[in-house]
Amino acid sequence: MSNSVKNFPRHIEAIWTGLKYLVKPNRMTVYYPEYFVEPPEGYRGLIRYYPDKCIQCGLCAMVCPAGAMKMYVKKGEKKGRPGVNYQRCIFCGFCVDICPQDALEMTKIHDVAFEKFEDLVFPPEKMALEPVSPALKMGAKKVKPVFDEERGLRHESA
Amino acid sequence: MDIVGFIVKLFLSPQVFAPIVFPGLLTALVVLLIIIWAERKIAARIQMRVGPLYVTRHLGGVLQMLADGTRYMFQEFIVPETADRIPFIVAPILALTLAILPFAFIPSAPGFSPISSPLTLPAVLAVISAIPISVLLMGWASNNKFSIQGAVREAFMSLGYEVPLFISAISMSILYGTMSLEEMVTKQFIPGLILNPIAAFTFLVSMIMSAGKLPFDIVEGEQEIVAGPYVEYTGIIFGIGMGLAYLKLYALSLIYTIIFLSGWEPLPKLLYDIYPGIAGIFLFVKAFLLMLFIVFLRSVYGRYRLDQALKIGWRVYFVLSIVSLILSLGLRVILNV
Repeated sequence: MSNSVKNFPRHIEAIWTGLKYLVKPNRMTVYYPEYFVEPPEGYRGLIRYYPDKCIQCGLCAMVCPAGAMKMYVKKGEKKGRPGVNYQRCIFCGFCVDICPQDALEMTKIHDVAFEKFEDLVFPPEKMALEPVSPALKMGAKKVKPVFDEERGLRHESA
Repeated sequence: MDIVGFIVKLFLSPQVFAPIVFPGLLTALVVLLIIIWAERKIAARIQMRVGPLYVTRHLGGVLQMLADGTRYMFQEFIVPETADRIPFIVAPILALTLAILPFAFIPSAPGFSPISSPLTLPAVLAVISAIPISVLLMGWASNNKFSIQGAVREAFMSLGYEVPLFISAISMSILYGTMSLEEMVTKQFIPGLILNPIAAFTFLVSMIMSAGKLPFDIVEGEQEIVAGPYVEYTGIIFGIGMGLAYLKLYALSLIYTIIFLSGWEPLPKLLYDIYPGIAGIFLFVKAFLLMLFIVFLRSVYGRYRLDQALKIGWRVYFVLSIVSLILSLGLRVILNV
């Protein structure tokens, strides 16, 4: 009972803080499909593949800790080309780091969705295409987060 | 015999109009839709988010719950093979019936009470306190670990809040010298909240416990036992389970407004002259604001543990309700209201 009495002002304080935020909201999120928050430098999104640079060494498939990267060997060829299975990929970026020719690159695209599990398997031909963000395709405005002394976080158009 | 006149007269009689239209069932459904949206929107505002928006964007997504309800309507109602079939189906219907029944006792304007009885306060509280039994039945009939956990929690919780709720209500009825909800409003020369603040506070907290709102949504326990007793229910019956807590909250808010916030006073004379049924507009507004405050608590508090809730129920609020009883007796002797 004595503890409850001691805690009572704290309850009032908590409710008061809540009411303060209710009256003066400080929204930190954006309307997603209309606005697209640009990811920071070094963001690890979908992997893009440049077939012209690739020497087909197979290091990317070897280093992949999740077993997501695999070499696809075409008929009549000896060496394969990398393809990725996004069901397994953990976006660690090891394949990109280890590539001696910079033939793999991490794009900043992350907001893609797939209807079927099979769509998540990207053969080399599909990896070579530029990944498209559906929000940006529909004409979303790009914004970037800026730290603010007063509000904490706000968004400026990039 | 004029049949149309008879039907209109029947519809406008307090026995039909008050429980079915205002402040009863139809109003309750509208309140249900708006309050769930408001709860989500308030929580979003405080947690620096946007909240529901895309259904009716111009109105801030107010019809979100209607869209969700429509979705529930078209979902399949599955009865699990291991469930006890008849209680599984009957329990939610019983729960909904018991949740609607309190509106048959709540007066909305002077001389406009559906059931005129000197004992409406204990009657309405008795009806509300019967709801946990049907929830217990739901949990038991589902034959699922989580639902039985939820049902047992409901049983524990109802032991925790029922006693302070009743004692604080009865302390007010001692203060006013009546157990009729309608007379209680006429007896309040100043709001009961000021006359006996301890009873008001105890009743408020017990009410939140009873309706299962945060910080006491132990029964549903979204993060631990998924949805408690309602976990096996699908489709519209799940919607009923969700709406049950809000219906209970609405009924209890109306009772709280009548007992502690001087009910429909100040009475709008103009509306009362037109038709007494709609004169309880201030009763509704006060109850709605109270509900908004209670759902606002969601964004401030985390959940209490079951043992903590029972502990404060018995060790703090039970004691406080006894103190409020003594205070009421003292005021009764001194003021002789």
